[in-house]
Amino acid sequence: MSDLEIQAGLGRSPRAARSSRLPRRFGVAESLAGLFALFLVTAALFPGLVAPGDPLGIDPLSAFQSPSFAHWFGTDESGRDIFTRVSHGTGSSLLIGTLATLIGLGLGLVLGTLAGMLGPVVDFTVNRFLEVLFAFPGLLLALLFILIFGPGVATATVAVGLATAPGYARIIRGQLLSVRSSAFVEAATVLGRSPGQILVRHILPNTLAPLFVLGTLGIGQAIVWASALSYLGLGAAPPAAEWGAMLSAGRTYIGSAWWMSFFPGLFIVLTAVSATALGRGIERRMRHA
Amino acid sequence: MHTSGHTHRASRTLTGLVGLVATGILLTGCATAESPEATEPVIGGTLTYASGDAEPTCLDPHVGGNYPQALVSTQYLESLVSRDADGAIIPWLAESWTESADGLAWDFTLAADVSFTDGTPLDAAAVQANIAHLQDPETGSSTGYLALAKVTGTEAVSANVVRLVLSQPDSALLESLSQPWLAIESPTALARSQDENCAAPVGTGPFRVESWVQQESITLVRNDDYSSPPEDAAHTGPAYLDSIVWRFIPDSASRYAALQSGDVDVIDNAQPDTIVQAEKSDTIVHLDAPRPGASNRIELNSGRAPFNDPLVREAFIRSANVDDAVTSLFQGTADRSYSALSSAETLAVSRPDLFDYDPEAASDLLDSAGWTERDSGGYRVKDGERLTVDFPVSTNQSIPAEQSLFEQIQATAKETGFEVVLSPMDLSSWYTALGENDYDAVSAPYTKVGPDVLRILFHSDGIIPAPSGYFANHSQVNDPAIDALLTEAGQVTDADERAALYTDAQNKVLEGFHILPLFDQQNHYLLGTDVVGARALPTVSTPTFYDAWLK
Amino acid sequence: MAEVGRGTRIVRGSRAVQVVLARLGGAVFVLWMVATLTFFAIRLIPGDPAEAILGGPGSQTSPEALAAVRAEYGLDQPVLVQYLGQLARLATGDLGRSYSLNQDVAPLLVGQLGGTLLLAVLALGVAWLLALGLATWSTRGGRLAWYLGSGLEIVAAALPHFWLATALIVLFSVWLGWLPPISTSGVSGLVLPVLTLAVPLAGFLGQIMRESLLTALESPFVLSARARGESERGVRWMHVIRHASLPAISLSGWAFGSLLSGAVVVETIFARPGLGRTLLNAVTVRDVPVVVGAVLIVAVGYILMTLLTDLAQRIADPRLRAG
Repeated sequence: MSDLEIQAGLGRSPRAARSSRLPRRFGVAESLAGLFALFLVTAALFPGLVAPGDPLGIDPLSAFQSPSFAHWFGTDESGRDIFTRVSHGTGSSLLIGTLATLIGLGLGLVLGTLAGMLGPVVDFTVNRFLEVLFAFPGLLLALLFILIFGPGVATATVAVGLATAPGYARIIRGQLLSVRSSAFVEAATVLGRSPGQILVRHILPNTLAPLFVLGTLGIGQAIVWASALSYLGLGAAPPAAEWGAMLSAGRTYIGSAWWMSFFPGLFIVLTAVSATALGRGIERRMRHA
Repeated sequence: MHTSGHTHRASRTLTGLVGLVATGILLTGCATAESPEATEPVIGGTLTYASGDAEPTCLDPHVGGNYPQALVSTQYLESLVSRDADGAIIPWLAESWTESADGLAWDFTLAADVSFTDGTPLDAAAVQANIAHLQDPETGSSTGYLALAKVTGTEAVSANVVRLVLSQPDSALLESLSQPWLAIESPTALARSQDENCAAPVGTGPFRVESWVQQESITLVRNDDYSSPPEDAAHTGPAYLDSIVWRFIPDSASRYAALQSGDVDVIDNAQPDTIVQAEKSDTIVHLDAPRPGASNRIELNSGRAPFNDPLVREAFIRSANVDDAVTSLFQGTADRSYSALSSAETLAVSRPDLFDYDPEAASDLLDSAGWTERDSGGYRVKDGERLTVDFPVSTNQSIPAEQSLFEQIQATAKETGFEVVLSPMDLSSWYTALGENDYDAVSAPYTKVGPDVLRILFHSDGIIPAPSGYFANHSQVNDPAIDALLTEAGQVTDADERAALYTDAQNKVLEGFHILPLFDQQNHYLLGTDVVGARALPTVSTPTFYDAWLK
Repeated sequence: MAEVGRGTRIVRGSRAVQVVLARLGGAVFVLWMVATLTFFAIRLIPGDPAEAILGGPGSQTSPEALAAVRAEYGLDQPVLVQYLGQLARLATGDLGRSYSLNQDVAPLLVGQLGGTLLLAVLALGVAWLLALGLATWSTRGGRLAWYLGSGLEIVAAALPHFWLATALIVLFSVWLGWLPPISTSGVSGLVLPVLTLAVPLAGFLGQIMRESLLTALESPFVLSARARGESERGVRWMHVIRHASLPAISLSGWAFGSLLSGAVVVETIFARPGLGRTLLNAVTVRDVPVVVGAVLIVAVGYILMTLLTDLAQRIADPRLRAG
């Protein structure tokens, strides 16, 4: 899925001027997204500051309480405070999202660069390899990987990274090819620069800039992916306060305790939304710079 | 779903009388779903059953032999004997039986005029063919195969009397034979290829298998010539329902939603919160039928450190607050167990005194066991090793509430200094972890009729490593005294003597802190209020729809 | 002159053959690699297939039964022999026999394919409609519509299937009682599964379409169409949407693959028979022939879908028709 959503970031054509109808200045949406991101970073680095309680502390006798002043987001089946768990889960959820995206991007970069730069034979080989990876449903790729290496946060992260790598690789290859055939690279070639110099000084910078945007967009999706793995019982081990795991655990009780899955889900969605808004804002600024 | 037959009301003549009899018996039945009303049963209709268990790969419970097979095969296969609600063995396909003085030969007289749904008559030769089928390695039987371990041969004494010859006396023989995994099938059908027999086994039951579309549903239709209900059934003659559609809905939330929306009539594996909701509603009825055999328990692996030390086992048990967890998670739908056996077993020994939650005592026990230091995480340490309990959890076998229970035990045991590592895994990986002795604690269901399950779970013969890898003595109890008690209990014929031996054995197991009992292995069925007369068979608590009809 | 003409025709013809051969060769290579990777990946997973074949909650496998099963399925042979054997069978079109379902794999999977295909095609169609509608509306409705539209798309794209499915069931089956929560013989049972798959996908497609819609609205050909006096509606429908669909079409092949991932979850929740559920069950019991067979079918589907999207792109983009 992240593949699609990544392409959304690159779907804009750099040729076209932006419409005057589009918000160009630092808009309300971006400010809100920035504030939320700030909150997330704080919660990830200093969870105790946001919610002083113990995310694993059980209190069986106050299980299944709906949101109240004492428990802002309610409590779960073991009486754990959901606000505390969501806050303390920020770190691991963001880590899963970020690391998985980095792994996917890193692999994609290697494969894409190989394919885009090293001539037709390598390009053909890498492309076939990508076809093979593409022909696997992403979830199956992740599933097989986790079953081989055992379930857990680390394997789920790598699995999501692997499953998203082919998409990134394809985009990067396309980007490389279009940059390589652009006028300034041709100009550099005419000026007699070596291929290595051209790659480092012209092609890579122009290819990598959009990757930053891809990355911000990919984080939310990676968290969603990881939550699907949790649903299949292959994600973070219980009772870790990880959003995806909480979402899938709370789903069982959706008829009697909606808050158990609503709040973790809300945070996943908000993270994806604010990452996308920020990513787009940055992209816009870079283009106009 | 059941639109086809509500109006179909043929052959009413018998039903008025039968209905009266039915309500009378249902009143006294212990696991009856519906508060009886003096209405007469409606003939016809299709009942849709939604199972949360895995879809069987073979509908013949001789092959393999697991609970999902038992659930569905109860509708079309029958056993030689059954059990009543009090746990006493009652006649079914066998009218009567006698045991020889030395306990090495059992003669079963079969009910007269019973035929399989393919027309083959039920006779001694048919029973012989079934025993042979179960004992044939080609069949791949596990549960039935083990249950017949002491049976060395069969003889046809006459056309309707069959003799089982045993190598040793077997006090559990009748209980074993009452199980659906040892049901009697048509010998003509058994002679077919295994694939054909798996797709549509042929029995004497009130329904027969009409079709099976894998991953979709099994269609069962009424056996109009049915003549062999067990003694405790509510009526005689054919079943009321035209047919049963047996579906598999693995997701518990959609299963309950399907019952609420009326798309299905009965569901199994109901979650505690939905049971509580159902009990408040007036459109859904709860049928609670604890499984026989073992209680739901955590088995502590005494075959390796740290639980090879009885003090550490006791410390773990004392440090786990199970009572509060059961109360909060099961919301009154399950009672705490203090026994190795299910409360459905009359010989169960309950020892609440051994399983108090007492963190202070647990701390002292750990101190005296040498786990005196604590590391930065608050966990106990000895010789530089952290006090870690590896706990693989099979996601296929544990419902979410049960997994939450383990989490709560993990949290309370942490206060005493245990690090419990819960690892959810699929069934195959779980089997592997057990086979490689890579666990300290584990929870596994074991369903078997009668206290003989103790021999399977706690006799040292049940410890690895048979080449198969599978073993049932997960707590790896290796105590000659317990072995001797269990072996003897399996052979004595005197009921009191047997009870005394099993009581001794259970006390020894519980006092050795080999297991932490949690609650009864539950079977919770939820039924729409239009379903009347469904009950759970007291053998292994599978539901039977022979007496059921739709309002 | 005539000779030269003939010569170029021949060259062109052989180039076409080359292209077709390369594509075919590539497809065969992909299928072979997919089969190989799957076979060995499943072998690496801890767990004995024989145990899994006989295993189930509460069942106790006897050594005799295990030995019989191992011999029956050839599991007692070296892995390489098993691999080559399977490859040889696959080459002849024989997908083998399922370890766990007592059936031949090919008819089994063909039976499951229909339901999944129907689900995926419908979901793709609905997603396209939703995305197109939302993108068109939000690029026209000013700043508020822009925010609302893009917000909706991002939220939709961030909804996990398993959670959306349950929420839809609670809303439409339990509270409103309009639609069945499980598959039924009629059409009504398809609505919720299709929506579950379509909504997140629509979020993605919508994001892409809106971007290219905007670009297209300001491109020279639209300006010239406007200058020619074509109506705004005409411009929008005739030029812009066709242009804006291009990137989305190119992604449909991939989207189809992602729908199959989604089908694993959706088929489990809605108790629908299908390829996804079969695949998941087969992986958990280490049923190598079924997993390999299912993955091969998905791979063939992916290859076909890529061909189709190539075609669709050529139709939507006149520039590609020449080349």
